[in-house]
Amino acid sequence: MSLSHGFVRGETLSCIYHGWSYGQAGNCLRIPAHPGLTPPDAIRTVTHPVTEADGVVWVAVDEPTAAPPGLAGLVPLRSLTAFADIAAIEAAAGVKATADGLVNAGDIRLLLSSTRDGETLIHVLVSADAGPAARIAAARIAEGLRRKAEDIYKKGAAR
Amino acid sequence: MIVGPMLDEWYPVGIFGQLDEAGRKTMLMGEPIVVARNGNGDARVTDSTGRSLPVRVRYGHVWTSLGDPQKELFAIPEADQPGRRFVDVGVVRVRCSPLRAVENFLDIAHFPFVHTDILGAEPHTEVQAYKVEIREDVDEVWATQVQFYQPQAAKSASGGITTQYMYRVAGPTSTVLYKTCPPKPSEWDVITLFVQPLTEDLCDVWPWMALFDDDTPMTDLIHFQQTIFLQDRSILENQVPRLLPLDPGMEMPTRADLTSVAYRRWLKRHNFTYGAQLVAQ
Amino acid sequence: MMKLYDYILSPSCYKVRLMAALTGVKLDLRAVDFHPGLEHRGPELLALNPAGSIPILEDGDLLLTESSAMLVYLAAKAAPDWLAGSDAQEAARVQQWLSFSGRLTASLGGARLHEMLLRPGDIDALRASGIAALRELELGLVEQAERGQNFLAANRPTVADIACFPYVALAPDGGVPLDPYPAIRLWSRRLRSLPGFIEMPGIHRLHELKPEPQLETGEA
Ligand SMILES: N[C@H](CCC(=O)N[C@@H](CS)C(=O)NCC(=O)O)C(=O)O
Ligand SMILES: [Fe+2]
Repeated sequence: MSLSHGFVRGETLSCIYHGWSYGQAGNCLRIPAHPGLTPPDAIRTVTHPVTEADGVVWVAVDEPTAAPPGLAGLVPLRSLTAFADIAAIEAAAGVKATADGLVNAGDIRLLLSSTRDGETLIHVLVSADAGPAARIAAARIAEGLRRKAEDIYKKGAAR
Repeated sequence: MIVGPMLDEWYPVGIFGQLDEAGRKTMLMGEPIVVARNGNGDARVTDSTGRSLPVRVRYGHVWTSLGDPQKELFAIPEADQPGRRFVDVGVVRVRCSPLRAVENFLDIAHFPFVHTDILGAEPHTEVQAYKVEIREDVDEVWATQVQFYQPQAAKSASGGITTQYMYRVAGPTSTVLYKTCPPKPSEWDVITLFVQPLTEDLCDVWPWMALFDDDTPMTDLIHFQQTIFLQDRSILENQVPRLLPLDPGMEMPTRADLTSVAYRRWLKRHNFTYGAQLVAQ
Repeated sequence: MMKLYDYILSPSCYKVRLMAALTGVKLDLRAVDFHPGLEHRGPELLALNPAGSIPILEDGDLLLTESSAMLVYLAAKAAPDWLAGSDAQEAARVQQWLSFSGRLTASLGGARLHEMLLRPGDIDALRASGIAALRELELGLVEQAERGQNFLAANRPTVADIACFPYVALAPDGGVPLDPYPAIRLWSRRLRSLPGFIEMPGIHRLHELKPEPQLETGEA
């Protein structure tokens, strides 16, 4: 059972299935079926380093060698998933990602992370001084870009 | 896919009362089959070559086997007891291993979190010690002296009670539980989970009950059990790994899981591995 | 008392139960053996609703067979706050999402019936149209957040939210995951946290809303 279906009380994350709860270090703190038991240290969940910078949550699979890239002047707007790979999204935007992983798609910037084969999580960033109307427009531009990327990907996959 | 010894076991494939002559097209362990009622009103099961498969009609359901069953279909003596009401709960499809569906049914520790305010509620989460054995004479897994605090143990229950349970694994994908019967304390209510393995990670589940309860309308009895099972379904569809691990090491059992440990050991002993994974991946 | 022809696993019936619970209305529930009995297609229920669907709501000589109308009726009687106010945009948005909710029923609801209760259907097409609808809803919620509004039509929950919530929350039952929709997940959490909220099978209790209950001393 994935812990993402679970619940957070205070500083602990609990599984929805049997209520086992885990602390920040990933160690099991409590097994409700055995309230008197101190869970052995071997019961733990995998943890990853995580940090928040410029309104974006960053996670590293292993120990990261560098801090996340700076996103000066940009703020996150929304995240969406595309049934397309990174290459198709870059093709739709007409540019490749920079060394920092940012795709400059005109009015919006994208941070891309591949979630599984043919599926990409797109984080949309806009200029920090964009007002509500510009931000709503940007949210829609992202939809159009996704449609285009999915088209490109589907055609590529068909070939 | 080699099915192995599970091929020779009995499986539920339909509610007898719902069969017609056109038949129900379904699947058993990857094999397409048709379950129908013939002109005489008898149930008939055929495979894709037209071959007739062995058939039993018992406990409201039609049972069949792709192989050559060495044992008669397991007995539920309560099914012949006068005064009980028999409830065909109806099929529910679940994208999970048939063995995982059974294992979840044997587990009580999830009640407060998954069946909140019905079969369990915090802070009454403790699972007291109980007894588990593999009964060699009948070759079944039994757990006895199981008890748990339940806010609403049955449709007929008014208020919380500590419910007594016995669990029984009667076949690789057939399990029966006996629990406190609120209207008739001298008897056990019988609730079963009959699982039809469609593939290794897809099953049709046919819950069935034999209850002492003269008051609750049939539809309410059906809905009570559907409620419980549909709460389980979303859990079952999210189990990782999808196949049931039979080798120790992947999952960390506690004392509350002894029924599940015995079930896995019993499956492994019989080479009942359809829906299981042997090596930790 | 209003009488609801109800099925515990029907998201459309749940809309009406949920609305009643949130607004403190008591309903007389008449359980319909939808599965496996197909009672909704039997003579008694077809006489009430020839379309052969549930929910059906009876109140005196009023007979309703569309869940959106039932939500409006409950709100108008018991909690007018849940209806659109006098603002033209808000009124239009409520209508927009009430109509849209029918697409959720047809797509995500169809996928769920197919996957769970073995109803015939083109599962790929049902899922694809369900995903398209979820994407529209997600964008709608992103835009609402930009307007400073936490719910679909206003900064308070309305009948529009209740019309859309059930089939969305139960999309995973039909094999359509909700992980790709952060705005929908936040909105769903907000609805599930409302006082008086009730669940249905497939929607678990949000256990974090209550601190962990402790045993009284001496209690077993
Ligand atoms: N009139 C629509 C119908 C809702 C609906 O689709 N209900 C389903 C149950 S969730 C139904 O009765 N389906 C009929 C059938 O599948 O046979 C409403 O009230 O929103
Ligand atoms: Fe359960």
